[in-house]
Amino acid sequence: MLAVAITKRLPGFTLDVSWEADDPVVALFGPSGAGKSLTLHCLAGLVRPDGGRIVVNGRVFDDVAAGLHLRPQARRLGYVFQGYALFPHLTVADNVGFGLHGRSRAVRRRRTAEVLERLGLAEVASRYPRELSGGQQQRVALGRALAPDPELLLLDEPFSALDVPLRRQLREELGRLIREWGKTVVLVTHDLAEAYQLGERLVVYDAGRVVQAAPKDELLLRPASESVARLIGMRNVLRGRIVKASPDRIEIVWRGQTVEAVNSLARPYLAPPGTPVAFVVRPEYIRLIRKDRAGPDPAHHMNLLRGTVVDEIDQGTAWTLLFRLDAPGEPSQGGYDLEVEIPKLVYEMLDVARDRGWDVSMHRGALQVLPGG
Amino acid sequence: MDLFPVWLSLRVSLTATALTVVAGLPLAWLLARRRFPGRDALGALVVIPLVLPPTVLGYYLLVVIGSRGPVGRVLAAFGLELAFTWRAAVLAAAVGSIALLVKAAQAGFESVDSRLEQAARTLGRSEWSVFWSVTLPLAWRAVLAGTILAFCRAMGEFGITLMVAGSIPGRTQTLPLAIYDHVQANQMADANVLALISVGLVVGLLLGLSRVARLRF
Repeated sequence: MLAVAITKRLPGFTLDVSWEADDPVVALFGPSGAGKSLTLHCLAGLVRPDGGRIVVNGRVFDDVAAGLHLRPQARRLGYVFQGYALFPHLTVADNVGFGLHGRSRAVRRRRTAEVLERLGLAEVASRYPRELSGGQQQRVALGRALAPDPELLLLDEPFSALDVPLRRQLREELGRLIREWGKTVVLVTHDLAEAYQLGERLVVYDAGRVVQAAPKDELLLRPASESVARLIGMRNVLRGRIVKASPDRIEIVWRGQTVEAVNSLARPYLAPPGTPVAFVVRPEYIRLIRKDRAGPDPAHHMNLLRGTVVDEIDQGTAWTLLFRLDAPGEPSQGGYDLEVEIPKLVYEMLDVARDRGWDVSMHRGALQVLPGG
Repeated sequence: MDLFPVWLSLRVSLTATALTVVAGLPLAWLLARRRFPGRDALGALVVIPLVLPPTVLGYYLLVVIGSRGPVGRVLAAFGLELAFTWRAAVLAAAVGSIALLVKAAQAGFESVDSRLEQAARTLGRSEWSVFWSVTLPLAWRAVLAGTILAFCRAMGEFGITLMVAGSIPGRTQTLPLAIYDHVQANQMADANVLALISVGLVVGLLLGLSRVARLRF
């Protein structure tokens, strides 16, 4: 159980965050400079917060009001630094055994050997960090942090020092390792894929604040605000005005068109007509309407829109079409209004390469209103 | 000829260097790693011996340690005399050379990635242990280079030594002072021998160490 509620004022930046987590792996996600690493430094005791409390598994690390600040040495945590910060003057074995120095020589040797073995580093035990590959360095950093058997493991951008192809492979490996060791983990990353693959709970940071903290599935399904939707890279984040809101439906006018969305069951959004509102449309839920069947039928097709494909992006197995409404006015996303994603097979069957004018339909469930922010 | 000044200079410089290291390393570490009020003033104070005329420095030192100075009186109460002894020459050499050690060591400590020290702290190491197991092993070249420079500077100390220790042959006359005396007395051959010994010692030390320990000065 982690409870972090801290403030820290630095020149030109203020951190003011509060989140709790009961999950084994928490990912702090957000753009660079959002305050994620600073939070990790506070958790480790390397930076002293100006206000608030940090409680980890019932142990109070910081309580500014009570004047309490536990030294990093007393927190019993493992920290994997960005770029690893391995001791360049020590061998792999000495790096891994560095945190065991209070114990007897025999214990130290046994534990070091055990950790090296478990992480597959036994062969490189007498090498120096600079002689290792990026993946090996990462494992040494992990081994060094885990050898003293910490209660809490902190990982700061564990993949930022690695090449992209290696990252994906090591992500799986790291995920397996932290599950095996069964520690409470706080991971900092600006890569959403990393956050999703490794974290169970995501805490989204922006400009020194937490904009949402939620289990990862909930975050994707129900981003709390427009800024969260943008931070987690959702496409088609659009703005309109409310025409009518009821507990189960919301009608929105956008680009001169009236579209209908499902209201949130958990937190229905019931603002009065005319209120500006942000919403997202999932690109893979937008359908092109076939021209060889009966024409578009408003009774059958929800949220019908007419427009033109102005550009397309090859995604490998699918095409992303940039779709611009024929309705007059400025397109809402630069040169286009909607991203539409269709599988390659559909693209070929409908001959979209040649035929650019289409009617599209969006099921109201594909439109999601973003309250607040 | 009398080689006493050579042995005296070596003894004075080695003792002064030892003092300099003991006092200078904590100072360098403080300047490199801690933020505290008066830090800038301390940093400036350290380099003052490099820029002040040695005679001025020597004069003030003499005021402090002389038989009527505050430190001199305390020492006299214990039956000790500092001014115009070889110990005063040690003090003079230490004051003249400590800035070189502090500045070199400070730069060395600053060049150690502070995340390595943080990593050591999260691994349970005390500040003392962090210094000995991480900071110093990674900065030793700079520290050693500073120590050698300080030693060489101590070997060449003239002005401060003359003021506080005098130039008493057989007691406080160090190598540079002896050379000066020989020249004054027009004993050029003796001056020449001592000057060559002086150059040989310092250049040999610098070259030898830069070879063996791959130091850069």
